[in-house]
Amino acid sequence: MSAAAELHSLRRGRATTKPQNLAAFLFLLPWFIGLFLITLGPMSVSLYLSFTDYNLLQPATFTGLDNFTRMFTDDRLHQSLVVTFTYVFVSVPLQLALALGLALLLDRGARGLPFYRSAFYLPSLIGSSVAIAVLWRTVFGSAGLLNQGLALIGIQGPGWISEPSTALGTLITLNVWTFGSPMVIFLAGLRQIPTMYYEAASIDGATKWRQFLNVTLPLLTPIIFFNLVLQIINAFQSFTQAFIVSGGTGGPADSTLFYSLYLYQRGFGSFDMGYASAMAWLLLLVIGGFTAINFWASKYWVFYND
Amino acid sequence: MRSVSIRRMGAGAVALATGAALAACGTSGGADVEVSEEPVTIRVTWWGSDARAELTNEAIAAFEKEYPNITVEGEFKDWGGYWDALATTTAANDSPDVIQMDELYLASYGDRGTLLDLNEAADLIDTSQFDEAALATGQIDGAQYAMPIGVGVPAGVVNADLFEEYGVEIPDDSTWTWDDYAAIAEELTEASDGAINGSSVTGGNDVGSVKYWARLHDNELFGEGGKVTLDPEVLASMWQYNLDLIESGGAESAAQAVESLNAGVGAGSLATGKIAMGFAYNTQITALKEASGADLRLVQLPGSGEVDANFFKPSMYWAASSQSDNPAEAALFIDFMVNYEAAAEILGTERGIPANNEMREFVSGNLSETDALAVDYMNSVVPGTPPVVTPNGGSGVEPMIQRYTQEVYFGQSSPEDAAQALIDELQAEVDAAQ
Repeated sequence: MSAAAELHSLRRGRATTKPQNLAAFLFLLPWFIGLFLITLGPMSVSLYLSFTDYNLLQPATFTGLDNFTRMFTDDRLHQSLVVTFTYVFVSVPLQLALALGLALLLDRGARGLPFYRSAFYLPSLIGSSVAIAVLWRTVFGSAGLLNQGLALIGIQGPGWISEPSTALGTLITLNVWTFGSPMVIFLAGLRQIPTMYYEAASIDGATKWRQFLNVTLPLLTPIIFFNLVLQIINAFQSFTQAFIVSGGTGGPADSTLFYSLYLYQRGFGSFDMGYASAMAWLLLLVIGGFTAINFWASKYWVFYND
Repeated sequence: MRSVSIRRMGAGAVALATGAALAACGTSGGADVEVSEEPVTIRVTWWGSDARAELTNEAIAAFEKEYPNITVEGEFKDWGGYWDALATTTAANDSPDVIQMDELYLASYGDRGTLLDLNEAADLIDTSQFDEAALATGQIDGAQYAMPIGVGVPAGVVNADLFEEYGVEIPDDSTWTWDDYAAIAEELTEASDGAINGSSVTGGNDVGSVKYWARLHDNELFGEGGKVTLDPEVLASMWQYNLDLIESGGAESAAQAVESLNAGVGAGSLATGKIAMGFAYNTQITALKEASGADLRLVQLPGSGEVDANFFKPSMYWAASSQSDNPAEAALFIDFMVNYEAAAEILGTERGIPANNEMREFVSGNLSETDALAVDYMNSVVPGTPPVVTPNGGSGVEPMIQRYTQEVYFGQSSPEDAAQALIDELQAEVDAAQ
């Protein structure tokens, strides 16, 4: 069916389905109820609480912008921002590069593709779970699997997660390892690229590398963009891994103090819910800001083939 | 009514007066403290292992047999989740009626009015079998917010097997000093050719080690009225001592210390035989011996021969919520758990050595070997004056100490700078909560 015919049928469809709108809204109703009761309601309360001093056990008292001005002098908050930004800017590009690399390999139609696809996707399913974080803690312990392996080739490895200099690195590795979901999306994207471009390119004498640079990459930019936005948003909110690996402390010596972990410590550890709410809103602003920048920048590098 | 009636009458009078005042205002938080004849359901919450849950549920069944009209619903969680849940249910005015409470959080909840002053239920809870010092650990400004269940005492632990293996003599713990301790630790490391370290780091992994060090130097972590009285020089000297011990090889490395801390008592360096001496609580000896299988012994802490710096730490408490609709039944439950032989027989020393003198006597009749070690040690300790209860806002003191300790041991800040920073931050936290 041509695009014009498709569009036409869509238009016609819309004209004839008016009575069905009601049904659509009815089906959406559970979601709307959820949105208002469990998302928007608490969000607006948290916005109010961010301007108060609230310890959970006594009524909140309004303190204006106090919580936000306190942020400028809170060294641990700054440390948590450093940790989180490092995590986002190192792990997301690495993860996407790995995902794209493997997607390209798998896309060549290797035998047993469904098996490999599932195998590589597996870490993503369990990667942010508590069980994997516990496993990670054992693998990277000073007498863990990794160091036992290194010992075989004569290297005495450190306690990867108990040294401040390497602890964040192991968590970044954990995140990079969960490349499965961007990989699957890349795979789908690669399948969308019409083979005629490659045929034309190879007739013109382009090498595989030139084909990748000049055909694959440009046509894949919408998918890269999509993955980038999603993974950045996810990485900013990272919590479980650091919580389990460091036992909730963000240690050793605050080297894995993720923003959301510090937020949790303020809220539940110190009964400082007002400040924690303010932190949540700052995080929302930061994530919103980065997403906006991403969308703005996308005009200059994302190519839509339509 | 049994003894201690004067204190109780005084408290009763205060309770009556405040009760009258509150009634006049028409806002008395929970319901009246009166035992109901009707069927009543109360909720009880605690943190801990499956083993604890089994014992507690058995004790609950015994309680329900004693009071047929009361149904008890038990809920239990692990330590971390427990406090999150308690904070949120309390905020939602849906707190369980009976709450297992810890010293770190007692004032945070008590000062904010969410706990019932048990003096209001004085004729329902018998306190006659508790030492004044033990009861005082559950009091804030005269209000009895919690009944101590058990006590633990900071202790030194030595691994006698490792001492024997490397031909080092177990020291006389009645006279040894921290200098002796360091020398022995270094001797052990050398004798083992680095296979083990003599000691763990002995300060900064938990708040008890800091309190003990401070008290050795005639200092306290907290004073009255939410004041952090810890002397920065004293704290810095504790860190310096351990830095030297790490440097000389007497103690394990900072990274190993972190790993041991994260692994928990049953899988830390003491339990796995990577070190021969360390700091613990006497009640942890059961878990330690079970995990290691080695001949672990409790010894007096260095310096305790000269200064009575050691102290009884209430291992945990029972408290009742001020939001409870059935405060009298909650009080009856607490009374049962701490005062009845029927409960003590089931619970044993699982929540620490009973703070109730009669019950301690009762359970010591059939103690396991390791429990007997813990009781013997406790009886041998001469405690100094009890430390002040951790003030409101200070519940985060332990992770805070661990964090600064790691900064010092990993060489990120000097002991002096870190000491001042810790004290400032802790004071600010407490002040913010007042």
